[in-house]
Amino acid sequence: MKKKVLSILLAGTMVLSMAACGSDAADPGAGTQTGNSGAGGASDAGATAGGSESTGGAADGELVDGKFAETRSITVEVYDRGNDGGSDPTNNMYTEYIKKGMLDTYNVEVEFVSVPRWTEVEELNNLLAAGTAPDICVTYDYPTIQTYANMGGVLDMAPYIDQYKDVLPNLWNWLGETNLYWDKDPATGTVWGIEAKLATSNRINTFVRQDWLDKLGMKAPTTKQEFYDMLVAFKDNAELLLGDDADKIVPYSVSYDVGWRAATLIESFIDPDISDKEYYINGFDDRKLTQNGTKEAIRLLNKWYNEGLMWNDFALYGSGDSTEDDMMKAGYVGAFSHNWDYPFRGGEDSINATLQEIVGEDAQFVAIDCFEDKNGNYTKFVPGPIDRKIFFPSTNDEPLASMLYLDWISDPAHIEYLQIGDEGVTHNVLEDGAVEIIAAQGDAIQNSGMNIDYTITCNGLRLSDEAKTTASTAHSYANVDPEVVANANTVAQTGLKVGKNVNVGAIAAEEGMGAVLSEKRDIVYDTALSASVDKFDEVWDQAIKDYLGAGGQAIIDERTEKWEATFGDADMLP
Amino acid sequence: MKREKQAALQKKTDLKVYMKRYWQLYALLALPLLYLLIFKYVPMIYIQIAFKKYSIVESVWKLPLAANHGFEYFIKAFQSKDFLLALRNTVGLNLLDLIIGFPAPILFALILNELRFKRFKKVVQTIAYMPHFLSWVIIYGLALQLFAPSTGFINMILNNLGMESVPFLNESHHWVATYAGLGVWQNFGWGSIVYLAAIAGISPELYEAASVDGAGRFKKMWHITLPGIKPTIVVLLVMNLGSILGSNFDRPFALQNKLVMDVANVISTYVYKVGIKGLQFSLTTAVGLFQSVVGVFFLLLANWIARRLGERGIW
Repeated sequence: MKKKVLSILLAGTMVLSMAACGSDAADPGAGTQTGNSGAGGASDAGATAGGSESTGGAADGELVDGKFAETRSITVEVYDRGNDGGSDPTNNMYTEYIKKGMLDTYNVEVEFVSVPRWTEVEELNNLLAAGTAPDICVTYDYPTIQTYANMGGVLDMAPYIDQYKDVLPNLWNWLGETNLYWDKDPATGTVWGIEAKLATSNRINTFVRQDWLDKLGMKAPTTKQEFYDMLVAFKDNAELLLGDDADKIVPYSVSYDVGWRAATLIESFIDPDISDKEYYINGFDDRKLTQNGTKEAIRLLNKWYNEGLMWNDFALYGSGDSTEDDMMKAGYVGAFSHNWDYPFRGGEDSINATLQEIVGEDAQFVAIDCFEDKNGNYTKFVPGPIDRKIFFPSTNDEPLASMLYLDWISDPAHIEYLQIGDEGVTHNVLEDGAVEIIAAQGDAIQNSGMNIDYTITCNGLRLSDEAKTTASTAHSYANVDPEVVANANTVAQTGLKVGKNVNVGAIAAEEGMGAVLSEKRDIVYDTALSASVDKFDEVWDQAIKDYLGAGGQAIIDERTEKWEATFGDADMLP
Repeated sequence: MKREKQAALQKKTDLKVYMKRYWQLYALLALPLLYLLIFKYVPMIYIQIAFKKYSIVESVWKLPLAANHGFEYFIKAFQSKDFLLALRNTVGLNLLDLIIGFPAPILFALILNELRFKRFKKVVQTIAYMPHFLSWVIIYGLALQLFAPSTGFINMILNNLGMESVPFLNESHHWVATYAGLGVWQNFGWGSIVYLAAIAGISPELYEAASVDGAGRFKKMWHITLPGIKPTIVVLLVMNLGSILGSNFDRPFALQNKLVMDVANVISTYVYKVGIKGLQFSLTTAVGLFQSVVGVFFLLLANWIARRLGERGIW
């Protein structure tokens, strides 16, 4: 009998624990959120912010000679890129500089909270749900902010931006109304997040092995046809180029994120005179999946794939995997498209530097423009001058101190120091006044290029003097030939079509769909790209249907509707 | 009446005596109980968000009921093509695991038991356990080295023999086979431990008697070993059936890629992507609750069948 009771008890706990298992996967950290119940629902969030506005409105009242009388403390998010040989992102020479600066200037203590760069959204979700998010949060994903704002989990920054304008000169100078109010809700005037500024619009470049071109006596391609001919030549001459490793050749490489990696090729198939309206309503996916023309671009890639010109295994390696980089470094890859400065990043470990070490002095990737649009130009669709989004979760009870932090970090002198560090340690000054970045050691290593992770309001080199900035860009990559960088910079800035801010209010259909639709988009790209040529249409249409059915169509419809409600029949922005 | 009172009193003193005598054991038991309480029972409070409109800042008790009498998210889930696909894949992959993965350790235990050379047996056993201690991320890394279409070891051999690459990981049907195969490889050694223990408990006299009667190896296996471990098999089968709709997360998540999503997306990865990455906590809690309820149902059913078959079941 006793045995039976015990076994029933055991079985009972097992069943119940299984039941709990099923559900606790769905609400991570939910157990801790009861503590915040005081913050109120979505509708109260405005009131909460409004409340602190009346007290905080008099910034001068809180600040004595521009400083807090009592020491305040705030926490700030910083990306952890987990790079080899990097320093602790929350504690190094640069964080010390920021901490000291904030304490001296405003009597505010700063503590950094690291969030893994490649899973930032998931990590941030956990922190927000647990009520332990840093006071100043940074993300590339606006829908996350919007979703939490709808739940009342985000502070409205509008009152602080306005009320504290006098004590935020650097922030206002640098971001200006454009970026501060980029996401301002046209109906309610709320600002859930402000947009950091891109100092440069450079986005994607195509790179090719200059030494391979030289060996084969070819010129750099300038059209898609020439590019294709080049890939075929690479493949046909694999033995000449790679010797014993000939079978490892990858003439053109993309990763599972085809939409990003083949962006310039995809954009060359989009009508360069596309109307603002069309571009906007199909613009939810920043990999341009639903734009007209994308399918033809992928059809071309599909053809190349089936001719053996591309990396066969691309879809099997996920984000953050270094296999593809390693192939580039080992010299197996002939051409690829990626971030405009991708082969230059990382100092000694950069692709170009490693390539030269392994393969030879003359081996390097150089940027080319070869995907012409229907007019023969190299139009590149780049987003507006916005970068990361900065927001305050509702658990932030130091909004003024946080705004002052944003001001401090936007000060040109501070940005300059964080970007180039100390002379002789992280940079040398050249004869013409240009700054040359050198590989730093130990604590002075910058975990992200030019410390972009600390200069949260700024992405891209921005020195206090504009001429110096331009001259220095070419020298801003350690161990890389400045001329190659200068060329990549020029190519990346050719034919830019800069995105405009279409602000018609929040699109409800987009809420919570970002992650799901991004995955579906990658499925469309990956399956279509690797389909056989005769199955391409079928695979693409089926996958697109799935994408649209899962919420893509609803977003397009709502975007169309909101555009028409705001701009009427106009096809272009006023 | 008096008798009942007396019985109650007896029970009380019993408990007291037990507590006094065995309090150390109870104190030891308290730790796992506390673990269950904190990590398994307390989170169950949040099951209710399956029926409510979730907000991170509001107390879970004060959340408003979702539409359709609270069943909005269940309806939404069953209207979602992705969820239905994930449901199909979960059941399919688990059934496959059951059909291939369940008998594997039994066979392995039987074979191992027939080995005469004890040291060889130990070595084989140890090697077979090892994969159990590898995480699925590592296993996927190994699988890539072996099975990738152009750089995988096996496909390179095939190519050198003049054959086409086999798309072990990048084509849906092959992927399912790879998934099942890797599952068996990881678990058969570990799973066999419990059977070996059960076999060790069978009285040697039975084998001796059978030998005297002229039974060969297979006869002994069939008539003594298998019936001897039958109760163990049934209990494990019941538990396996209970988790037919449950799925571990790391195995499918680590093994899947964008080309095979149509067969690789299971409920746990669906919940992760839609719920945690997409912030739809209510929807995915509803899915999780559904999964658990069906799991309990299967468990009860399997247990009932087991008892019908004359075995003890798990309770």
